[in-house]
Amino acid sequence: MLRMLVLRELQTQYSRFRFGYLWTLLEPLVLSIILWLVFSVLLGPRHLGLQPYLLFLSVAMLPWWWFTKGINASVRSFRRNAAQLRISTLPTQFWVLRVLLVSTVEFLMSLPVVVIAVILTRDLPGPLIVFYPIAILAQFLFMYGIALALASWNVIAPDVARLVRLAMRGLFYLSPILYSVSNIPAHVRPLAALNPLVGILGLYRIGWWPQEIEDMLHYGVSLGIGLISFVVGWVVFRRLESRVLKES
Amino acid sequence: MARLSITKDLDVMVEFEGVGIRMPRARKRNVNSRLRRFAGEASPEQVWRLRDITLSIPAGQAVAIFGSRSSGREALLRLAAGTLIPDEGCVRRQAKVVPMIDVAAAMTRNMTVRQNIYVIGGLLGLTPSVMGDLVPRIAHLAGLQGQLERKLTPLTNRQINRLAWSIGVMTGERAFAIDETHIGEDLEFASTVKERMSQMRAEGVTFIVASDRPELFLDDWDRGLVLDHGSIVADTTLAEATVVYEQLGGTDVDDDSDLRTEETFEERDDLGEEEVWEEGGDERPRKRER
Repeated sequence: MLRMLVLRELQTQYSRFRFGYLWTLLEPLVLSIILWLVFSVLLGPRHLGLQPYLLFLSVAMLPWWWFTKGINASVRSFRRNAAQLRISTLPTQFWVLRVLLVSTVEFLMSLPVVVIAVILTRDLPGPLIVFYPIAILAQFLFMYGIALALASWNVIAPDVARLVRLAMRGLFYLSPILYSVSNIPAHVRPLAALNPLVGILGLYRIGWWPQEIEDMLHYGVSLGIGLISFVVGWVVFRRLESRVLKES
Repeated sequence: MARLSITKDLDVMVEFEGVGIRMPRARKRNVNSRLRRFAGEASPEQVWRLRDITLSIPAGQAVAIFGSRSSGREALLRLAAGTLIPDEGCVRRQAKVVPMIDVAAAMTRNMTVRQNIYVIGGLLGLTPSVMGDLVPRIAHLAGLQGQLERKLTPLTNRQINRLAWSIGVMTGERAFAIDETHIGEDLEFASTVKERMSQMRAEGVTFIVASDRPELFLDDWDRGLVLDHGSIVADTTLAEATVVYEQLGGTDVDDDSDLRTEETFEERDDLGEEEVWEEGGDERPRKRER
């Protein structure tokens, strides 16, 4: 059933646009290229991020893209599917999971962008690339937890969706996407470790830039907080589930 | 008031034990309330919709529920089907109870009849493997044969309700919780409904139906329940229940009229799909970082 719902959603999404799947590739690719032009070519190399910058950007850009799209869409999932929730005996969390899986499939389909960037920069990853799938798993769990909590809150207070969108803007600059962890001043780094995305993005990049993980403690804390977010999100959802059903 | 009860020596299908539930007070939609909502007003207060309900519905029984809109009859149906979680007590089910509660609201108007059958059927418990076989039969039952590839938009509400009912009863489950939207005043369709439901009843299917005119659905009801302000005031035969309900004032208009279906649609319009998927694209930095 879940598979059917996910496929349905993907189908309707892709049949609407003429280039369908191409958009999944084009959007992050073009964005990466623009950012690369601005920060690397126009402004000159100012030790922002690591080299090659185009690859450095796109490796973090795709997960970030997945993160914002997935969270922004799933926050509304209970509200948008209120009528369906009323007649569905499926587990309530399926409605969030479905939106999340759709964005995950899109993310996986956009991975060729990294391959393109690797070809363009001729920079093959080292053995630590094995952490890449682990990063995907960690990000999925983190997203699932906060999406459940946020979607439940959004049923009670519809403002949550807007708040989340704002928070996403801020988080873009607060996460090491344009820059590397080494660009963060040393005394702020413990603070940055509180952001689960620091650890997750680090895991994505470690295959190319092992030096990204210089402080294991910070990454451990960051990933730990990601895991805790998952548990907390699940608990929040469980407590609000009956409210969600009532409001539907 | 009398609280007669009929017992049959059969397995229990649904069992309520001291069940109570608070529901947000339904609100009327007008400009004022929308404005307040936009300004961030929290969800409305919760009121006890059902309190202290203990009830046991044997498998194979046909129960008609009478009650005004604010009596809690919809909540009772949803609790029986498990699409609501009680705040007090517990509800036990022996098998799946199909929630046929305003199914039409869950349909997508700009999808075809076939697509809707797949989606709604799936939600109500049909698996894709049996779907192919059932689709033409569902359409036939709803009187929509040959219109499978048509979108719902040109169909009348009556046709959509018929389709909703047809999908529900074709799930082949052993128990159904049906609200009044699925037949209502559609008298032309009543004979089809009656025929189909009598046949299912003969097969031992359990029915819990909220309706003011249950005789439109079925001839031989085992039991009638009358709900008033969240409690059961009579649990007896259909004939007696009808009398009790009429004494209560029948279809009274309540302070709290239910406009929930409409509301659900409106809210979904607020934040359309377009917006969701177009968002997040403009994370382009406008200022230099740091």
